[in-house]
Amino acid sequence: MTLRNNRESNGTSIVYDEWLAQTLIQLEHIPSANNFNNTIALTVFNGSKPQSALHCVTMSILPLSMSECLAKSAQKIDFGEEDEGIEGKQTSEEGTTEKEESAFQPSLWPWDSVRNKLKTSLTEIGVLLDVLNIAKEKKYMAIVQVQQDTSEPKSALQLLAKKKGLNTAASVLISGAERLKRSQEEKGGVSSHDKFHIELLKLRQNWRLKKVGNSIIAGSRFWQGGTFEVTKTTSLPSDQEGSTAQQYPLQVVIPSELEGSSYLQLEIKSVPDSMDLMSVTLQVPDGFGRTPLNAHWQSRLDTAQNVLFCKELFAQLAREAVQLKSNVPHVVVSNQIITNIFPGVQLSIVLCHSTGKGDKKTGPHSGKMDHKHVLEHSLHQLLREVHHRTLHLAAPHPVTAPFGMSKRRRLAGPTAMSRSDLKEMSDSETLLEQIIKQARHEVLRQRTMSVIDRLAGEIPDPQIMAHWSCLNSPLQSNVKIIITSNGYEGMRVTWQSLDLEIGVDGILVTTKDRRTLKLSFQEKEVEDIIRWQVSQHHIALSQNLARLIGWQVLSYNGCSGVGEMEGFACASSIQLVAPNNDRLQLVAPNNDRLQLVAPYNDRMLSVRSGPTSGLHVFLKIDSSGNLDPSLSSLVDPKWLNLGGTFRELDLEQIEGRNLATKLELIMAMLI
Amino acid sequence: MGVVCVYTFPVPEGKSGQQVVDSLQRQLELLGAVKTANFSVDCETYQSNNPTGAAQRILHVLHNSEQPASCFAILDNGTTLVADVLFEVLVAKLTQSKSGKDGYYERRKGLKIESKGPRFELSDFIVKIGSVSMASNFKGILVEVEYCPCAIPGECWELMKEMMQSFMGTVVENPPMAVKNKKDQFYTPSDTVAQYLEHFNNFRKAVVNQSPR
Repeated sequence: MTLRNNRESNGTSIVYDEWLAQTLIQLEHIPSANNFNNTIALTVFNGSKPQSALHCVTMSILPLSMSECLAKSAQKIDFGEEDEGIEGKQTSEEGTTEKEESAFQPSLWPWDSVRNKLKTSLTEIGVLLDVLNIAKEKKYMAIVQVQQDTSEPKSALQLLAKKKGLNTAASVLISGAERLKRSQEEKGGVSSHDKFHIELLKLRQNWRLKKVGNSIIAGSRFWQGGTFEVTKTTSLPSDQEGSTAQQYPLQVVIPSELEGSSYLQLEIKSVPDSMDLMSVTLQVPDGFGRTPLNAHWQSRLDTAQNVLFCKELFAQLAREAVQLKSNVPHVVVSNQIITNIFPGVQLSIVLCHSTGKGDKKTGPHSGKMDHKHVLEHSLHQLLREVHHRTLHLAAPHPVTAPFGMSKRRRLAGPTAMSRSDLKEMSDSETLLEQIIKQARHEVLRQRTMSVIDRLAGEIPDPQIMAHWSCLNSPLQSNVKIIITSNGYEGMRVTWQSLDLEIGVDGILVTTKDRRTLKLSFQEKEVEDIIRWQVSQHHIALSQNLARLIGWQVLSYNGCSGVGEMEGFACASSIQLVAPNNDRLQLVAPNNDRLQLVAPYNDRMLSVRSGPTSGLHVFLKIDSSGNLDPSLSSLVDPKWLNLGGTFRELDLEQIEGRNLATKLELIMAMLI
Repeated sequence: MGVVCVYTFPVPEGKSGQQVVDSLQRQLELLGAVKTANFSVDCETYQSNNPTGAAQRILHVLHNSEQPASCFAILDNGTTLVADVLFEVLVAKLTQSKSGKDGYYERRKGLKIESKGPRFELSDFIVKIGSVSMASNFKGILVEVEYCPCAIPGECWELMKEMMQSFMGTVVENPPMAVKNKKDQFYTPSDTVAQYLEHFNNFRKAVVNQSPR
């Protein structure tokens, strides 16, 4: 086939291509034979000259089938703005083979977008159907109108409600206005507003305050629920012109747990059955006055802090009682701690907290309860010390570092303390242990005192004097017991003295000759010792008296192993002999020559004194048992008078206030 | 604080350090000593960083488990400082390099040396047998004997010598330098540490001597 280019052209490629395209389209429309591809040689003549030789391949394209046509047309349907697949629609109309291919998205069959569109419309219709069903059938769901504000059925109620609302609003406004008016009308230089601040200043001087939001909170160290609050007085004073003594511009609100007042009560009582720790009676705290609400904030805060302190103290003691592993179990029952400090002696610590709201208990129980005020005070002191130690760090330390090690620990490094030293330093006693020690010492001291006093009253003969040392500690006291005879105190040698050192667990006794004895907590042991010393005193006294008067001591036995046995300790005895009995007398009987005879005056006194057997004085009445003077073994005549019959003297009948005077009388008479 | 003597116990050829320690331990137990705990003495060395080229100062920081709250710092000229354990933190700060500049002191790595072992108590004596190691290399054995009741070396040296010879043999002939110099003065823990430092330095020198071989 030859085509003539009828148009004259310069042969620019673009124009040429366009023409070629048009020609090809025309070729397309030429009905051709069925399905054969021919190679057509095209010679394009430009004018008459052959310009180019083109080789084209003809492809027979079947006309589009019905489905293809439909597909193509369906593509043209505009389903809305979401269409993207129809971009190439325009170009496909112009259509070369290449362009036709690019019109279709790869791997999509022509109906895909159509399908998607139909799907979405299906869902929308479904929704519409559902809504219609709901509206019509009202089976499972119903369309209900949104509630309109229902108007009051009755206008009267409405009116009342409105009135009430207005009233409350009005009262709030009125009170506010009154307050303002009052503050403005205050006579005098200082308005109550200022007074509040002055009071606040005073409060700050004594207490730690912190501002939290609208309220001011007072600080507390112990974890306590609730807060203290400081508020301004808002209530109207009942008597504005009256005295303002009751009215303070500043008020303190105290949390309910700390209402009222409390104290710790310590009691030591003897329990007959030491095993009976389980049957404890819960102490009922007796009510006592609470501070009235109008009291000055200082006193109210003071009582509140006291309550807080007592609570903390009790909590700490209870905690230690439970944790401490000691030989004696401690029992903690609600507000009481009970422990045995000695067998048969119980210590009980009770926290009494009365809120003041209950009725006053009738009948004072205080007579039965024997508070140990001193111990309670020392409990307080112990806790204060703990607080002080935690709060105050020993100098030197920077102001910004309030916590740190104790001074000893700080020095441990530079002084190279060994491990054992450090361990010793770290061991510290708990509060409960300390108070138990103090209680034990207290018990011992009380008992010793009572024993000494009782004996001093019972034993009239030698006087028992006790000098208590004025310097003592909560854990140790000293007492010096001096036994003298009335009227003969000048003879210091005859004094018997005892030093008692009363500690925590027992008593240490030092006698005059510096022997030490350890006593336990039993009262009887102290009594025994004193009685024994009394008996020793008798004999010592006799010895010295004899020396003074002139009698001679034949034997002194501090601990005689003969005679009846004492209940405890031992008896002592002394033998005295009258003077002038060791010289042989020259007697001339019947004016004969002088003869040496045994002395006539052979009076002997024997005194024996024991703690249980008592005091006995014996006098020799005859010398029937005397040794024979001619015995050759007897060198010294003093041995001649050892024997004889002794008779006991009834000391009651002899005049004299005590043994000393009596003995003196006897000895003087018998010289 | 008693008087302390520290001696090196020689390790005979062919035996391992552990064997020697075991034999010493057995001897002590025969004597009646009771093992109470373990002890450790360690030493770290720092060198001063002088950019101006002035003489280098060496600082040794030692710890002794017998004084757990203390830290001993000894300079090369013998000045000793006894301080709290927090002193280490201070030295660490001095060693830190900040803002580009080097620290004032720098740690000499690889020279940390320590002596660790069991601690025995035999009535008034405390005996410690320590195996010395530097970077987990065994170096030797140090035996420390402390006599607690006395604090003046001149008065108890003879007693200690006798006691030590009973299980250590002829190693103990002369008192250590620190003890000899203080015959009539109070003995302090810093003297113990000085003895340890001397031994540690000897061990370190021994390493240097051996390494060129």
